[in-house]
Amino acid sequence: MTDFPTSIWPALLVAVPITFALGTVFFAAAGRMWSGLAGSVATTLVSALAIAAAVREGGLIHHLGGWEPPLGILLRLDPLAAVFIGMTALTGIAVSFYAASYLRSQDDLPRGASLFWPLWLMLWAGLNGMFLSNDLFNLFVAIEVVGISAVGLAVLSGKPPALMAGLRYLLVAITGSMSYLFGVALLFGAYGTLDLTLLSAAVEPGATTVFALVLMTLGLMAKSAFFPLHFWLPPAHGSELPPVSALLSALVVKGSFYILLRLWAEVFGVSLTFAAGQLIGVCGAAAVIWGSWQALNQDRLKLIIAHSSVAQLGYLLMVFPLLILAPGTAVAVASDWTSSAWTAAVYQTLSHAFAKSSLFLAAGVIVIAAGHDCRESLLDLVARRPMTAFAIGLAGISLTGLPPSGGFFAKWMLLKAAIASGQWWWAPAVLAGSFLTAGYVFMILRLAFAPGNSDTENRPVPRGLESAALLLAVASFFIIVPAEAVISFLESSAPFGSAIVPGEGGVLP
Amino acid sequence: MSVWIDILLATLSVALAVRCLTAPTLAQCVFLFFAFGLTLALAWARLGAVDVAIAEAAIGAGFLGVLLIDALRDFAPAKEATVEDAEGYAAGGSAAEGSAAGVPLRAGRAALPLLPLAIAAVVFVLLTAEAVLNVRDGGGLTELAQENLARSGVDHPVTAVLLNYRSYDTWLEVGVVLIALLAIFAVGNGGTFARRDHVTHDPVLEPVSRILAPVLFLIGGFLLFLGKYEPGGAFQAAVLWGAMGILLYLAGWPVMTCLPRVWWQVLLTAGFGVFMLLGLAFMSGGGAWFEYPLAHAGNLILLIETLAALSIAAALTAIFAFFHEMHAPDATETPEK
Amino acid sequence: MNAMETYQIYLTASAVLFTTGLAGVFMARHFFRRIVATKIMGAGVFLSLVSFAERDALEFADPVPHAMVITGIVVAVSAAAFALALARRIHQLTGEHDFTTDS
Repeated sequence: MTDFPTSIWPALLVAVPITFALGTVFFAAAGRMWSGLAGSVATTLVSALAIAAAVREGGLIHHLGGWEPPLGILLRLDPLAAVFIGMTALTGIAVSFYAASYLRSQDDLPRGASLFWPLWLMLWAGLNGMFLSNDLFNLFVAIEVVGISAVGLAVLSGKPPALMAGLRYLLVAITGSMSYLFGVALLFGAYGTLDLTLLSAAVEPGATTVFALVLMTLGLMAKSAFFPLHFWLPPAHGSELPPVSALLSALVVKGSFYILLRLWAEVFGVSLTFAAGQLIGVCGAAAVIWGSWQALNQDRLKLIIAHSSVAQLGYLLMVFPLLILAPGTAVAVASDWTSSAWTAAVYQTLSHAFAKSSLFLAAGVIVIAAGHDCRESLLDLVARRPMTAFAIGLAGISLTGLPPSGGFFAKWMLLKAAIASGQWWWAPAVLAGSFLTAGYVFMILRLAFAPGNSDTENRPVPRGLESAALLLAVASFFIIVPAEAVISFLESSAPFGSAIVPGEGGVLP
Repeated sequence: MSVWIDILLATLSVALAVRCLTAPTLAQCVFLFFAFGLTLALAWARLGAVDVAIAEAAIGAGFLGVLLIDALRDFAPAKEATVEDAEGYAAGGSAAEGSAAGVPLRAGRAALPLLPLAIAAVVFVLLTAEAVLNVRDGGGLTELAQENLARSGVDHPVTAVLLNYRSYDTWLEVGVVLIALLAIFAVGNGGTFARRDHVTHDPVLEPVSRILAPVLFLIGGFLLFLGKYEPGGAFQAAVLWGAMGILLYLAGWPVMTCLPRVWWQVLLTAGFGVFMLLGLAFMSGGGAWFEYPLAHAGNLILLIETLAALSIAAALTAIFAFFHEMHAPDATETPEK
Repeated sequence: MNAMETYQIYLTASAVLFTTGLAGVFMARHFFRRIVATKIMGAGVFLSLVSFAERDALEFADPVPHAMVITGIVVAVSAAAFALALARRIHQLTGEHDFTTDS
C-alpha cells in the first residue's frame, strides 16, 4: 500500500478547490458564480489528471510535511479512492453548472445564497480529503469540514423548515462525529498509532477494539443516514435548494460509507464476526423495504426522492455480510463472491450518485416550471418538459435496477454474491426493493404521461438546468460500459476484493 | 493524598455534567456548563495538559459560554414552567446515575422509557469502563515526537505536533472555523451581515476596555510567542485577541466598521490561505506539502501562527457581533453594507 | 482495584461523561440542552485522550493527543456556534422559544 510512488496530485486535490473557495469569498454574487465555476472546472481537471496518474502508477501517495506515519499524515490515492474522487468530480461539475444557472435565474433566494460557492468548494475539498486520508484523526477533521459545510449548504434557502431540518442534521452530525472520535481515542490509546495501515497490522481482538468498532460504526451510520439512523435525511434533503439536495444525497452520505467500508475491511477484521455482518445486513434489508415503502406513500416529488435515498443506501449495507466469511469457509472459495460484492458496493455507490443527483436536479426543474412539486406538477410532463421527463425515466430505471443500467449491474452483482456465498436470504430483499422502487418510479412516470389540466403553470426554465439533469441520468447508464476496465483497475490493490476473515482481518484471496 | 484531588475533580465534573443537563431552567444549565468547563480545565492541568487547559477554559467554556448566555436572551424569557413542561426532559443524566433528582417530568411520556433507558445507560457505562480501563498500552507517540523535535523548528512538543508533524490537521481546523463563519452568515438575517456596531456606548465597559484591551492584546502576543518554547500558541492567543475584539465591540468601539469590507475579508481568510500557500510554496523545491526547510521552520511557524491567530480572533469577534445583532428586532431588515 | 493510577481515574470519568452526554442528546428535547449535551460527550472524548497522553508520558506527556484535543475543541465549538446560530434564526423567524428538534 505504501509502495506507491510519491506525487503532488493528492495534495492538489485538496488545495485547488480550497484556493478557489477562498477566492470566491472576495467577490459579490456575480463574481462568486464565475470564480466558483472556474474552481469547479479546475478541480475537475485536477481530478482527471490525478486519476490518470493513479491509473498509470497503480496508485499515489503523499507524505504531508515530509513526515512518515505514525508521526505524520499520509494521503494515498489508491484505486478505490480514485473511483470515489472521479464520482465526486463528475457529479460536482454537472451540479456546479446547474447551480450557476439556477442561482442566477431565481430571484426569490436570500442574499446569502451566493455563499453556495465557497461552501460547496470547501465541501468538495473535504470530500477529496476524506477519500485520500489514511489517518484516523485526519478523517475526523475531514468529516467535520464536510459536515459543517454540508449543513451550511442545506440551510441556504433560509426557510424555517429547511433551518429546522438543518439543525437536526447538524446535531446528528455532531453526535456521530463525537462517537467516531471516541473510537479513535480508544484505538490510539490501545495501539499508539492513527495510521490505518500501521493500525491494521497492530490491531488485536479484545473489548477495546470491539467497543471502538461499535462506536465508530454507529457514528458513521448516523452520518450516512443508514437505517435505523436515517430519520434526519428525508426532511433535510426534501427542503434544500435542488443543487444542494443533489450534492448531499449523491456525495456527502457516500463519504461516511466509504470510511466505514475501509475501516471494516482494513482495520476491524479481527473483531468482526459473521453475526455482526448479518446484523448490519438486516439493517440494510430493512432500509430497502422501509425506505421504498415510505417513498411510495409520499405526495411531494422531492420527498419521494429523499425517501428513496434511505432505501438505496440500504443496498450498500447489504454488502457487508457478504464480505465476512462464515466460520470454516476457505478464503480461496470466497473469491467467487467477494469480488462481486465489492463490485456491487462500488457500482451501487456510483449509479445511485448519478441517478439520485439527476432526480433532484430534475425535481428542481419541475418546481421552477410548476411552482411546486406536488403530484399535479408532474402531469403531462412528457409533453411540457420532454428532456426532464426523459432524465427522470432514465434515472428511475437505474434506481429500479433494470438492464442495461448501472443500477442493474450493481443489483445483479449483489444477487450473484448472495447466491454464491450461500446467503440466499438477501435475495428476496433485493428483489422486493426493486419491485417497490419500480412502484414509485412508474407512479411518477404514469403522472408524467397523463394528460394535464390546462391550469398547470409552465414557466420557462433555463436550458442548462435540464441538460445537467439529463447528463447525470445518462451517466448512471453509461458507467457500465467501462465496467471491465474499472474493475480490473480496482482489483489491482487492496482492500478491493478482500474477504474479511473473523479473527484475522481482511485477506485477499 | 493527591489521588483524592483527582477523584474529587473527576466526581465533580461528572456531577456538574449531570446537573447541567437536568437543571430546571436554561440559565442554570448554562452556568453549570461554565462550571463544568472550568472543572475540566483543572482536571487537564492535573494531567499535565496545560495547553489543553488554556484552550478549554478560553474557547470551550469561555467563548461558547458567552454565546450561550447571549442566546439566553432569546430563549430564557420563556416562563420557567413552560420550559419544563414543553421539554419534558426525561432525566437523561439522572438515568445514567440512577437517581431522579426531583426533575419535573411529564408523567405519561417520560415515565415509560425511564427504566429500560436507565438499564441501557448503566450497561453502556459498564461497557465503556471495561473498554477504557482494560485498554492495551499502545505506548503513544511520545518517543517519536521527542526524537524529531530538533527537526521541527520549535522547542515545545505540542506546537511541533500542531504546526509541523500534523500541520495538515491544524490547517483544516482553521478552515473549519472559516466554514462555520460562512455557514453562520448564510443562516442569519437572510444571509446578510450588516457589520453594524454596537451603537450605545457602555459607560462601564468603555473605561474598562481602555485598560483591559491593550492588556489582552499583549498577553495574547506573549502567549503566541511563548508557544515556541512553552504551553501557548496560536489558539490561546486567538481567544485572547478575540476576547479583546468582543470587549471593544460591547464597549461601543467601531470594531466591525473601522475596516473596509475587503480588509475584513482579508483578515478572515489570511490565516487559512497563507498557511496553505506557504506550504505549497516550499513544494517547488521537491518537498512535501507543509514541509518547511529546517533553517526557516521556526520563523515560518511563528508567521503562520500569527496569521492564524489573527484570523481566528477576527472570526470569533465577527461571530459574536453577529450573534449579538440577531437579537435586535429590526435585524431582519438591515441591508448589506 | 489496588493503586489506581491518576490516568485511570480520569479515564473512568471520561466514560461516564461520554455516556451522560450521549444520554442527554437522546433524552433532552430542547435543542439548547442537546447542544450542551454534545459538548459533554466531546469533553468525555477529550478527557480520555488526555488521560492516554499522561499514561504515555516520558519527559513530557504525549503531545499528539494534546494537539488532537486542541484541534477537537476548536472544531466542536465551531459546530456548536453554528447550531446556536441556526436555532436563533429559527426563533427569529417563527417566534418560538422552546421548540424542539423532534419530528
